[in-house]
Amino acid sequence: MADKTQKTKTAQPNKIKFGSLQPDIENLLELKPEDFMPASEEQKESFIQNRESTSYWKDAWRRLRQNKVSMVALGVIILLILFAFIGPMVVPYGYDQFNSGAENLYPWHYSLKDQRLIDSVSGNAQERLEAALADAEAEKGEALNSREIAKIRAVVNSTTVDLEDFIKENNIKHKAFGYSVSELKRIEAGEKVFPHVFGTDRYGRDNMVRLMIGTRVSMLIGVCAALLVLLIGATYGSISGFFGGKVDAVMMRIVELIYSIPEVLVVLLLSTALKPALTTFQNSGNGFFQKLIGLLGPNLISLFFAFGLLYWVTMARIIRGQILQLKEQEFITAVRALGAGSGRIIKKHLLPNCIGQIVVTTCLQIPSAIFLESFLSFLGVGVSSPMTSLGSMASEALSGIQTYGYRLVIPAIVLSIMILAFNLFGDGLRDALDPRLKK
Amino acid sequence: MAKYTLKRLGMAIITLLLVACITFLLMNTIPGSPWLTEKTPSQATIDALNEKYGLNEPEIVQLGKYFKNLFKGDMGVSLKMQKNRPVVDIILEMFPVSAKIGAIALLWAVLVGVPLGCIAAYNRGKWVDSLLRIVGTIGISMPSFVVASLLLTGLGGSDDSIFPTIFKASLGAKAYILPCFALGLYPMCYISRQARSSMLDALGQDYIKTARAKGLKNSAVIFKHALRNALIPVITYLGPQIAFTLCGGFVVETVFSVPGLGRYFIQSIQNRDYPLIMGTTVFLAAFIIFMNFFVDILYVVVDPRIKLEKGGE
Repeated sequence: MADKTQKTKTAQPNKIKFGSLQPDIENLLELKPEDFMPASEEQKESFIQNRESTSYWKDAWRRLRQNKVSMVALGVIILLILFAFIGPMVVPYGYDQFNSGAENLYPWHYSLKDQRLIDSVSGNAQERLEAALADAEAEKGEALNSREIAKIRAVVNSTTVDLEDFIKENNIKHKAFGYSVSELKRIEAGEKVFPHVFGTDRYGRDNMVRLMIGTRVSMLIGVCAALLVLLIGATYGSISGFFGGKVDAVMMRIVELIYSIPEVLVVLLLSTALKPALTTFQNSGNGFFQKLIGLLGPNLISLFFAFGLLYWVTMARIIRGQILQLKEQEFITAVRALGAGSGRIIKKHLLPNCIGQIVVTTCLQIPSAIFLESFLSFLGVGVSSPMTSLGSMASEALSGIQTYGYRLVIPAIVLSIMILAFNLFGDGLRDALDPRLKK
Repeated sequence: MAKYTLKRLGMAIITLLLVACITFLLMNTIPGSPWLTEKTPSQATIDALNEKYGLNEPEIVQLGKYFKNLFKGDMGVSLKMQKNRPVVDIILEMFPVSAKIGAIALLWAVLVGVPLGCIAAYNRGKWVDSLLRIVGTIGISMPSFVVASLLLTGLGGSDDSIFPTIFKASLGAKAYILPCFALGLYPMCYISRQARSSMLDALGQDYIKTARAKGLKNSAVIFKHALRNALIPVITYLGPQIAFTLCGGFVVETVFSVPGLGRYFIQSIQNRDYPLIMGTTVFLAAFIIFMNFFVDILYVVVDPRIKLEKGGE
């Protein structure tokens, strides 16, 4: 058919009026026997060259590729995914593995020789203090009171070398990555030891593996919560929009009600209350759901719930709006005339037509879910030990912030980069899928 | 208009009651009790305490009693954190601290955010715009706890330094700098983005062309004609945000140890101090919900173009 119009057009090009949108019907009605011949390979090829078919997604992808910012964001997201999912396989430590002797490592180390030098000074100071105290005690003949001890300590301290100055004077430089002393000895013996790239926490757990797992957890929560929101919101919104009238009025009242609930308050309570409830449920039997909870942990599930239960309203509103517009269009009347049921119309005809909006809203939901998860974990009601997330890592780091500031800075940076990348990618996706929205 | 206001008010009250019920329900499903401390009291003591504070009654009766007292302005007494002190007193003590920090934070967010948005819109496509856009996007991508704790690591010092780590009201103005900055950064970035896009919208309108055609100065066009309309979306955002920021940046208060309502709310959950959880939630929720209500009304008053929904459809 397409081939035929092509042929008639090329046969009589002078009959087509320029600027006219009216198809040239007269020629179409004149059917000749050769119109029914199958097209030759050559004709097919020329047709394809004339107009290559582009699908909606191809077109969107082309637009997205032109957007440099979102391509960079996409690259960052892919890197983060690799970091979170492949990374833990590379690093030989477990996220909940206590590496004894390697507690509180910095992301740098001194070589064994330098370490000995430093030890000699710091050990020296302690010894000298003890010696001075013993001397004073012997001189006085009785136990010293705390004031005298403090005085001696001050005197000794003023004469000992400051450790930092000592390190600077002897030109001791720290080297990248953290190793404990025993690990350094093993390296000296010729063994290969994987470094603690970001140091370790106070239980000797490797910070990098925890960071990877934390990124994975935050990402999973973001994606799963967004999908849950999509599921509830799309179902609710399409039903409300499609049936309209009283159903719509009632359903939208409920949405309005939930919309005006201060969500952070309820989410805080909800995630606190759900966790123990899910734990008891998990221990109550061995069915499919219990296993699922066991697999993901009651922690994560309660966060999904809290998020899914309150944040679907925006999605429902958007989808309802789209459906209200779409359902009046002719193709829906046509499907209805062909006898399709409501469920089929919604699933097969209405929802696929708002796919652009759905994808964009879901994608922009991911960073806000990650945001909320980290917020809850930071306050101590989200993901809890031994599982970890970026928010709980930052929360744990807060107590030792003065000495071990890097423990807070690293997850904080990863978290911000992740949210930024998702935000930018979502924005790009919106421009690509729905150019009308571009400002 | 009166009908619309009444309808909104009704919605607001229903929402508040709903929140109170949800809170009550959730609170009671959290395992644990306010009486559990390091040394577990005997069952007899627990029973006696439960009886004294009415915790042995069925939950529905408790809830009914709570509402009855609430209408009289009585929110019960704290069970654990400040034993036997009326919840209303505690809230009245905590709220001004949170409110002060919140108000300063929002003030700087608006005073900086709106002009930045206008500058970006006016220089659309130039490097100023790109720069502001990048800064704004980074700003809304950093959770407030990240901002707060990074500030704390980077700048925080002792009580005598310019940026004290631990908030103490006695330290005066300097104690407020870091918390207010951390709390206001996100709204600032959000407002500037919002102001930019609505300013662009406004600048493309016909009445701006008219104003320019009359020969008005650029500054007059922007500030007198465009800005007024561009501010409407900012106001919509500000309504709920005011309530929320005033009541407590939960996180910022936790990080800087501010003795505010947000921090207290979290602690009361952890301590299962039931009346205190209820009290703070109801107070915060009421504040937020009525702020939304207020903005809804204000919105219609400010922008006559918005048509009220007609009854039914």
